[in-house]
Amino acid sequence: MPTPGGDLIRAMAAGNRDAFAPFYDTYAPLVLPFVLRIVRDRADAADILQDTFWETWRGAAAYDPSRGTPEAWIITRARRRAIDRLRSVRRRGETFVAPVDEATAGAPPPPGGDAAMRAEDRQLVASALAQLSEAQREVIELAYYSGLTQTEIAERLEQPLGTVKTRIRLALARLREVVTPP
Amino acid sequence: MSHEPFETLAAVYAVGALDGDDLAQFEAHLPTCAVCQAALREAQDALARAMLSMPPQAPPAEAREALVRRVGRARGADRRSWLTWAAATAVVAAAAAGFTGTWVAVRYEARLGQMARETAAVKERLAGHEASLREQMALYRGAVELLRDPATRVVDLRGRGPAAAASGRMIWNDAGGGHLFVAGLPPTPAGRIYALWTIVGGTPRSAGLFGVDATGRGTHRIAPASTGAAAMVFAVTVEPEGGVPAPTGPIVLASK
Repeated sequence: MPTPGGDLIRAMAAGNRDAFAPFYDTYAPLVLPFVLRIVRDRADAADILQDTFWETWRGAAAYDPSRGTPEAWIITRARRRAIDRLRSVRRRGETFVAPVDEATAGAPPPPGGDAAMRAEDRQLVASALAQLSEAQREVIELAYYSGLTQTEIAERLEQPLGTVKTRIRLALARLREVVTPP
Repeated sequence: MSHEPFETLAAVYAVGALDGDDLAQFEAHLPTCAVCQAALREAQDALARAMLSMPPQAPPAEAREALVRRVGRARGADRRSWLTWAAATAVVAAAAAGFTGTWVAVRYEARLGQMARETAAVKERLAGHEASLREQMALYRGAVELLRDPATRVVDLRGRGPAAAASGRMIWNDAGGGHLFVAGLPPTPAGRIYALWTIVGGTPRSAGLFGVDATGRGTHRIAPASTGAAAMVFAVTVEPEGGVPAPTGPIVLASK
């Protein structure tokens, strides 16, 4: 997926405001479904998208190409916000009886999800993750989308920790094959 | 110790799932190992590309416009956000709250220390401001409460002698006590303080001591009178710092 991401970030880092709109237009439509998949709430996802991209403008000077690609930079920032939001929603759900309006906003999706979520699941299947085995996709989802630790994943799947680690390693190796152009 | 276990740790770190001793061990290892740094970069890139490979969804147009406008108004990219990239990669791996990235710390230790000091100083200043604001709020609220009572009287005090430009206002309630607000009083000389007196039946009673701030303003809260006798006349004099049982110094403010 060839993108001018690095050039745009460099331009933003130099204070070039005109670089922001093309940067946003390139990446925001790709980041939104990702964030939505994590938080499963449109309003939250929109907020997170807004915060993330505002911070990419402000933090453009901190981008160091030797540490990672532009795609990794953006995704990492978006994911951090989304997982934080997910965790705070979870914590509230565990410790409080949520008031009525809050209960619908941040609630975990009903089994099978609503129509929009099911459509997104289909989209996911069409993406790179579809190329992984069921078991590999599962660990990536639990770790990367749900923010579980290796220990929590092992408990959830009732698998030994070593198995979970190996599966993650294999999943990433497979993903690299899938996304790398031949 | 062979390197192979670190390859697995790197993969789990890349998806943000490393925890416990594994996390500590890997973070200690990473700054020293170019192989792991490269592996991590590639893994994170592959993940990012995979995450970005879903069919795009257009964000709401107003959100886009608002952001573009905001960028247009902004001062420009913040060069001091060096922490953000470092924090983003480290926090992704540190599942628990708290910034434990040894790798980041090794590279940015000095800056981290400075930021921590600056933050601590700001926090302290803020805490001080907050405390004094709370005090003031409580004071004003008390005065407003008194004003609700129809039995409360407001008495004006006028400057006298050298403090002719000063003024004061006493919100007084026989049962609830009072609040004195003064303006235009100079700071007292060393060893001196302002003293308030209520004058009942011609006899001055001490009603406390107070000072003024740099702008010449002061407030003073008076507890309700224990005698129940109505106070109608008030005066402020300059007295020695410890206070005196009866006025000795010049009168600077007095009611009619």
